[in-house]
Amino acid sequence: MNAAEKVAQANARVMEIFTKARPVWTDVRPALEVVPGMKKNLILHPGPPISPEKLPIPLRTAICGAACHDGLAKNMEEAWEMVLSGEIEIDASQNHDCGNAASQVMSASMPVFVVKDMTFGGTGYCVPHPGSNPRVLRWGIYGPDVEENLSFIRGDLAEVLGEAVRKSGGIDVIRVLSKTAGMGDENHNRQPAASMALALELVPHMLDVDHPARDRVIKEIAANDRFFLHVMMAGVEGIIASAKKVPYSTVMAGMGGNGIEFGIQVAGTGNRWYTTEAPMIEGIFLKPTTTKDDVLGYLGDSCVTEVWGLGGMSAIAGPAYLRMTGGTFEDAKERTEKARAVSLGEHTFAPVPWDDFKGFPVGVDIRKVVGLGILPISHGGSALKTGGQAGAGACELPMECFKKAVEGIYYEIKGEEA
Amino acid sequence: MEKKTEKILDLFRSELIVVNVGPKSFADVLEKQGFETLQVDYKPAAGGDRRMMEMLEYLGGY
Repeated sequence: MNAAEKVAQANARVMEIFTKARPVWTDVRPALEVVPGMKKNLILHPGPPISPEKLPIPLRTAICGAACHDGLAKNMEEAWEMVLSGEIEIDASQNHDCGNAASQVMSASMPVFVVKDMTFGGTGYCVPHPGSNPRVLRWGIYGPDVEENLSFIRGDLAEVLGEAVRKSGGIDVIRVLSKTAGMGDENHNRQPAASMALALELVPHMLDVDHPARDRVIKEIAANDRFFLHVMMAGVEGIIASAKKVPYSTVMAGMGGNGIEFGIQVAGTGNRWYTTEAPMIEGIFLKPTTTKDDVLGYLGDSCVTEVWGLGGMSAIAGPAYLRMTGGTFEDAKERTEKARAVSLGEHTFAPVPWDDFKGFPVGVDIRKVVGLGILPISHGGSALKTGGQAGAGACELPMECFKKAVEGIYYEIKGEEA
Repeated sequence: MEKKTEKILDLFRSELIVVNVGPKSFADVLEKQGFETLQVDYKPAAGGDRRMMEMLEYLGGY
């Protein structure tokens, strides 16, 4: 079999995984128990691996905050010294079948959603979304109030949610997406419909849980219109875990930013990263006093949802997000058309009524991106350099990553032939 | 012979529609003079990067 045939066969296999996967949310467990390679002194961060000295302020704060939360250090200063000395280790979440949105990090004691793909067997993990309070670790902020919320999530919320999910027998993520087709979610930066549909499935089981904090947890879940995002991220991580085991494939199987660098992963080379300088999210700012100089480069792993055809790839499904961030309906259509031009398949579970009932494009082929010169557009929130959310919008994925990835796969196959 | 000349003259007498393969600014000048233009959406393969083109061909094209 020549290289072209190997690639074609591998891509067909990855597209089978992407389009036939069935992610089901089955449990909530401490990261240490379930996340591959997790250790007590390991903290996972978004985007490609980065040396501690280069960490931007929000990630540094989140990592040190998580170290205090886990009792690894007495205070932020001690935590930072331990990170610099290597006593506390850091690594990219997506090297461990996890995703961390925005400036979120994951420590060993944090609870994670366990979402298993029932077709191909991969499992992905993500911490719960912390709610609409702007002062969260997820935006690089730590203090007594943030610690209180983290402790609530690790304790009451994880206990109630875990029992409810287990009682439910598992919540089918694709069923949630199917039921909310045509309700205006693009399912990366906008998911009120999916979050409500998820609550419909979950709340009856939560009511059967005997726990003193049950009602508070129900209120937190029912009032959080972004709750579904982190379940979806864990679902996608489970799917791409299987895709990353398919050698020779040129289909994108991971992406994220650490604020300094942005990177993609490709199925055929597993957890290898292809990186470049993090692009800037263009759109709106939450405060009129914010300027471009205040904003960090692309930060977060929530864009793994886009690897599976959501967010900017299916922008036409959620045109209201574009309206909010300075775009038009036509821009939404164009974003999805660009993704279609460089993708190998289409989802069938959530056709978009105002797009001739077409499905979301899925499976970005790095060869098409480089050959056609068409860059997919990702949606995302932007972070302030000092911590906190700056705004929301979109950006083109950097061509440099795709060129490096083509080179990576090329030499991988050439090397085997030599 | 006379018939062929007429055909060419017919072409020159008909309405001019310019198909522009180059930068859009070429067509802009003609549009300002009242001519209709059609812009071809063309990009060289891999942005003209010869090394990338060779690698893509080896990997089965795009």
